[in-house]
Amino acid sequence: MKKLKSVWIIAGGAERIAELSAGAAAWGEETALLYAGEREKAAGAGTVYYLGPLTGVSYLSYIPAIVALVREKQPELVLVESSRNGRLAAAAVAAAVGVSALTDIDSLEADEDGGGIVGRRMVYGGAAWKTERVSGPTAVVCVGAGVFPPGETPPPGEVIETRSEAAPGIRLLERKENPAQNVNLPAAGRIVGVGRGLGAAENLGAVRAFAAALGAEIACSRPVAEEERWLPKERYIGVSGVIAKPDVYIACGVSGQVQHMAGIDRAGVIVAVNKDKNAPVFRQCDYGLVADLNAVLPRLTELFI
Amino acid sequence: MRIVVCYKCVPEEQDLKIRPDRTPDWSGAARKIGQYDLNAIEAGVRLAESAGGEVLALTAGAGVGDSKLQKAVLSRGPAAMYGIKTDEETVSDSLATAWLLKAGIEKIGGVDLVLCGEGSGDIYAQQVGPLLGALLGWRTLNAVSALSFAGGALRAERALENSREVLLADLPAVAALTTDANLPRIPGMKDILAAGKKPVAVWDAAEVSAPPPRGAEIVSILAPEKRERRQIIVEGESEESLAAFYGHLRKVLR
Repeated sequence: MKKLKSVWIIAGGAERIAELSAGAAAWGEETALLYAGEREKAAGAGTVYYLGPLTGVSYLSYIPAIVALVREKQPELVLVESSRNGRLAAAAVAAAVGVSALTDIDSLEADEDGGGIVGRRMVYGGAAWKTERVSGPTAVVCVGAGVFPPGETPPPGEVIETRSEAAPGIRLLERKENPAQNVNLPAAGRIVGVGRGLGAAENLGAVRAFAAALGAEIACSRPVAEEERWLPKERYIGVSGVIAKPDVYIACGVSGQVQHMAGIDRAGVIVAVNKDKNAPVFRQCDYGLVADLNAVLPRLTELFI
Repeated sequence: MRIVVCYKCVPEEQDLKIRPDRTPDWSGAARKIGQYDLNAIEAGVRLAESAGGEVLALTAGAGVGDSKLQKAVLSRGPAAMYGIKTDEETVSDSLATAWLLKAGIEKIGGVDLVLCGEGSGDIYAQQVGPLLGALLGWRTLNAVSALSFAGGALRAERALENSREVLLADLPAVAALTTDANLPRIPGMKDILAAGKKPVAVWDAAEVSAPPPRGAEIVSILAPEKRERRQIIVEGESEESLAAFYGHLRKVLR
């Protein structure tokens, strides 16, 4: 693959910076990171544009500065972390350069013949893949976790303070951190997924014990997070949630709706436990157990300890 | 306050058929208001109910000129509906869609606040709201889980991955709502009857705007290749069943 001249990263968390940086180094001759936050953490690309701190300021305030830098330097590709701030920054940059940002991309390729950058995302609730080509001077892509294999990150380079003016007309009144919800499902090797078939939040204890015995992360379906609220939203797998590809996925009380299964389609092995023999999940799994989850889970856990 | 709520009429997923060449076939598929847009409509109507002002609904693409879908949106509270006629391909592109909506908002005129859903119910790129704000040059917020007016400005709570922030944004502004912002109402018979009497304006895309730019070109839309799974199913809760299932599990977990 012929390398692009300049690939930029817009990201905040160290893990995501490292991942996108590996991607940027594979794609581009030069890399740069646009970063707001703690000054000493501004590292991870050939050049770092340090936008400013996030104490007392919303990330939103730096978006005009991000747009101005992209306009001025015109990188050929901007890789943006798939976060809420990332998607907002991506749209602002995309509007400025006249493209649609490709978001939640699961694969990215350079089109050697037709030119441009080609990315693929899930659409229609997981029923199809939409592949799109962006052929502007600058392509903007929001990349989910796990898309780029870990690779070499460029040696720490120059840090340029942009000293940009904060956007007028937006003021941060309050911020509450909730770091408890840090979970990296896309990187998990084993995941136990909880569906509504669990019955009640009280039964989560048995799932936790089972997951712990297996060394697995816990995830869930959308209704479990958004309607029942047994688990936080960050843990739901599906088209509008997390797309994961563990070696093993164990679906517990998950019916197997397409929106959920699309989010786990690339798991190495899918295992299902459900008391409904006719649940669609049994047609999409490698191994299944037709049984009452709450009766068998503690017994299975014992076998694994 | 004049609030515009944007929405997209998307095909009903259950009506999707996949052709042998894996392309989707939507012929005969019913349309509905995108599920995430219902939160934007509800948020706009509640804001106007509590703070005063009017709520207008705006869409582009499918659902324009369809009296059932027009009634569906108006029965949820907006005072009028504006629709921009355009083809399916145009509204499958984030930039083109935002461009048309911007033109519609400018034609409506005097708009203080635009609300969008988090993403469309079919594509869900989550870009149209943020793009629209950028194109209009207005204060733009996404991930908004609560909002109110405060001293002529918008007070918005944003739900981020690791934090929640409360912001005060000057108007005019564009906000994209999260799904937990509210529980959209179910229109009653009275609302549905009243909806039939509300004004509807339909514009051709050419009436409101120059041809919108496409931000990306579709290479293909294809159903995933079916991945065959082994489907080895054990039934029952007996010791034997559990031992058999455990045997399989142990193999894959090794």
